[in-house]
Amino acid sequence: MSPVSQETGQGASTIHEVLERVCGAMHIAEGFLPPAHAIAWSVASAPFVVHGVRSLTREVREHPESTLLLGASGAFTFVLSALKLPSVTGSCSHPTGTGLGAILFRPPIMAVLGTITLLFQALLLAHGGLTTLGANVFSMAIVGPWAGYAVYRLLRRFGVPLMVTVFFGAFVADLSTYCVTSVQLALAFPDPSSGFLGALGKFGSIFAVTQLPLAVSEGLLTVLVMRLLVQSSKGELTRLGVLLSGKQNRTETETEVVAR
Amino acid sequence: MLPIDAAAHSSRWRHRHPVDKAVLGLGLTVLAISLPPWPGAALVLLTALAVLLGPAGVPGRRLWRAYRVPLGFCVTGALPLLVQVGGPDGFVTLAGGGPVRAGELLLRTSAASLGVLLFAFTTPMSDLLPRLVNAGVPAPVVDVALVTYRMSFLLLDSVRRIREAQAARLGHITRAATWRSLAGLGATAFVRAFDRAARLQTGLAGRGYDGTLRVLVPEARVSVRFTTASVVLLAALAALTLVLERPLT
Repeated sequence: MSPVSQETGQGASTIHEVLERVCGAMHIAEGFLPPAHAIAWSVASAPFVVHGVRSLTREVREHPESTLLLGASGAFTFVLSALKLPSVTGSCSHPTGTGLGAILFRPPIMAVLGTITLLFQALLLAHGGLTTLGANVFSMAIVGPWAGYAVYRLLRRFGVPLMVTVFFGAFVADLSTYCVTSVQLALAFPDPSSGFLGALGKFGSIFAVTQLPLAVSEGLLTVLVMRLLVQSSKGELTRLGVLLSGKQNRTETETEVVAR
Repeated sequence: MLPIDAAAHSSRWRHRHPVDKAVLGLGLTVLAISLPPWPGAALVLLTALAVLLGPAGVPGRRLWRAYRVPLGFCVTGALPLLVQVGGPDGFVTLAGGGPVRAGELLLRTSAASLGVLLFAFTTPMSDLLPRLVNAGVPAPVVDVALVTYRMSFLLLDSVRRIREAQAARLGHITRAATWRSLAGLGATAFVRAFDRAARLQTGLAGRGYDGTLRVLVPEARVSVRFTTASVVLLAALAALTLVLERPLT
């Protein structure tokens, strides 16, 4: 989710940098998808968002103070995506923030927070759109967080160190977001000769050039942020369940070592 | 405050009911994606531009700054339509009719974006969000969105100040320092967001917070005249497209 200007403040010296600046805004723009596709992606997103809304409503009813914490989480997600991220290739763009958001707040809540953030970005920053909100929600607020979180949980289960799991969680969340966007575009605009697969190759190759390095950058940034958070915000991370699971896993690993 | 929201707060149509502006702005967007791009989207584009710069009084410079963002994506997204993969002439060749398809896509996207921008440049988020409850959005979700909206500006401001402080301490002078500063920025944003939420919670608890955030919404009525005029304009655009479609294609 990249809401602010794509200006880097440096001269664009290579085609790669130019592409990276343009492709940094990976929200599908207003009116880009045909009406049938826009509706279909909205329908596909709806169950996940409704599930997230139910979780959020239940949480707020049981703990009214959660409204403020969830609002703070939404604001953090919004601001996180505004940070300028130096790419490993030299230029810069913005992180999607979906990986860190999913690890901290869980995918169902991220579906709602992501939808709110995407709505704000469409109306406040002209990033994305209202007719393409369903498609953008599907890639950035559903597939990205779920894929990143699944990898994070899977690696945690195998006792991989926290920071490694965080890196791969953020990396996969970022990359899967862009893969889904490429699929959405390829479905909407199949190649005249080779159909869907040809179009997927075209869109995928354009965005892969920029997004692979950006996914690595986002993974690295997420690790650095998480390292600082572990030092400064143990209470919050424990409340969110991030550190608790880490401690449990560590205890399990230590027990195994002692047993051997 | 972000530029579009700032412009919306000082817009000529600021005190109109959001439904009035939604009918016109979002109606134009729906027309742009449903009508044939030529001449439908072109007509919508011209109409939206005329309304934005004329009656709505949006400054041209501000509009361009916002408009170039979706245009960047559209141009990148339209480029692949110019070529085709596979076929008898080679692996990657120019697609027959590619420029027309790309042009139509650009036209449709540009027009649709302007419709949404018309709504965004005239409707502050603080007018829109509380009214979403009437549209069936659950109140807790609207409350979370309201807190997110109000806290975002404070956090963005904090992040800007921290960034300036880091730059003043040569925090961006090397690549390693840039990464360190960026990580500090992200972590500080998290800490400040949660700290602010905790302080807000304490303050609200002292005032008898029961789980509902009550905010004053500026009173406005749906204008039957404005809405009718908008519907007539949209119908006229649709009719004109159907009339002109055959002679112009």
